[in-house]
Amino acid sequence: MTMTDSGFRLEDAPMARDRTDGWRHVRAAGDVVRTADGIYLLTSTEAVQFAHRHPEIFSSARAFDSLASPVPLIPIAIDPPDHTRYRRILDPMLAPKVINGMEEELRRQARELILAFADRGHCDIVDDLARLYPTQVFLTLFGMPLADRDRFIHWAETIIENSNPNSQAEVAPEVIETAMELFGYLQKCVDEKRANPGEDMLSRVLSFTGDEAWSNEEVLGLCFLFILAGLDTVTAVIGFMFQHLTAQPDVRRRLVEQPDAVQPIVEEVIRLEPPAPLTPRVTTQDVDVCGTLIPAGSPVTLCLGTVNRDPQRFPHPDVLDPDHGDSGHRGFGGGIHRCLGSHLARRELRIIAEEFHKLIPDYELAPGADPHIVWPSGTFHLTSLPIVFPATGRA
Amino acid sequence: VKAHIDKDRCTGHGRCYVLAPDVVTDDEFGYGQILGDGTVPPEYADATRRAAEACPEQAFTVTE
Repeated sequence: MTMTDSGFRLEDAPMARDRTDGWRHVRAAGDVVRTADGIYLLTSTEAVQFAHRHPEIFSSARAFDSLASPVPLIPIAIDPPDHTRYRRILDPMLAPKVINGMEEELRRQARELILAFADRGHCDIVDDLARLYPTQVFLTLFGMPLADRDRFIHWAETIIENSNPNSQAEVAPEVIETAMELFGYLQKCVDEKRANPGEDMLSRVLSFTGDEAWSNEEVLGLCFLFILAGLDTVTAVIGFMFQHLTAQPDVRRRLVEQPDAVQPIVEEVIRLEPPAPLTPRVTTQDVDVCGTLIPAGSPVTLCLGTVNRDPQRFPHPDVLDPDHGDSGHRGFGGGIHRCLGSHLARRELRIIAEEFHKLIPDYELAPGADPHIVWPSGTFHLTSLPIVFPATGRA
Repeated sequence: VKAHIDKDRCTGHGRCYVLAPDVVTDDEFGYGQILGDGTVPPEYADATRRAAEACPEQAFTVTE
């Protein structure tokens, strides 16, 4: 397919209420589309896979230059060879075996959040559960006090809402102020952990000595990336999961009745609703992708949303079908930058799905609710998802 | 049926050891590691094929 330069604007895609229409619109523009903003969108499986396999041509580091982060976002804004070194250190800290050790505590916290509204007969999945849980998990992983959850959420949301790596817009002064407050808080935690190490991930990173020791900027950069990448993404998928389950009661019943169905259902939600479906890169050289020449130094966006709905791979690409939950989606990206927290994210989603349905197996969308995402946006997430259910009286 | 992981392609998505836990396990990095010499007992062949299909990097493959 040849290059299309038809003044295509990603923001014109009808994403807000139904990503099916939105991704069809994007995919129909072509395999490789030069947008009116001069960004090359890669929409086909072949094109995105090519980019994932050639990180030396599609630099993630250069794509994050425009974010003007005060610290290096480790490891996403790092190219090989340093990237390889960081991942060798970080991958084991987020491996499934390590997460197994946290599971009981994470389950307890999930149950506690759900019990807080179980006797009420209604809740907003986004506000009462999805926004809270991933931040608690982060604080638990990094050994920070859960009591700081709400101000942490405020900081993180302010920064995330205003830092879209796909946009070239200037950073607002209040965002810089919020970021400085957050960094002040993180620095205090880092100093405390240096003095009194615990069993948490932050303490482990700080425990490296000699040539392996991390600088203060590296440690803060890692914390900051976890906040940018690990909170609103999981929040988003929790919201989408319940949206799909309210829309498809048969799938919800299957989840309640068959414990084995949880995992493929979670995978299907990530496939259909990847929360960060537009991942940025910058080309380091001229490159031909599916017959289109992309010049060196071009901003490129990899569309995971279209790849995950490739009809060649998925028999019912736009439907949540637990029977293709075992198929290989790219909701966590691919290649060397495959989401570092993917194993943790999957576990969080599974725990929420299991614990919620144990306590509240029957529910439906609240009358008059109109779930939608903010669009355009770097990450996709529902603003609200009110549901109603028979009160359990157990809380 | 034999299972194989191309270590150069694997980036640790972890689908193989979830879908075919009798054939692959996870190493300390969360990457897949073939159990034994990769020979797949007939009762696990279907699960192993599904795992190969699910590998986003086409790193986990099956030879019949």
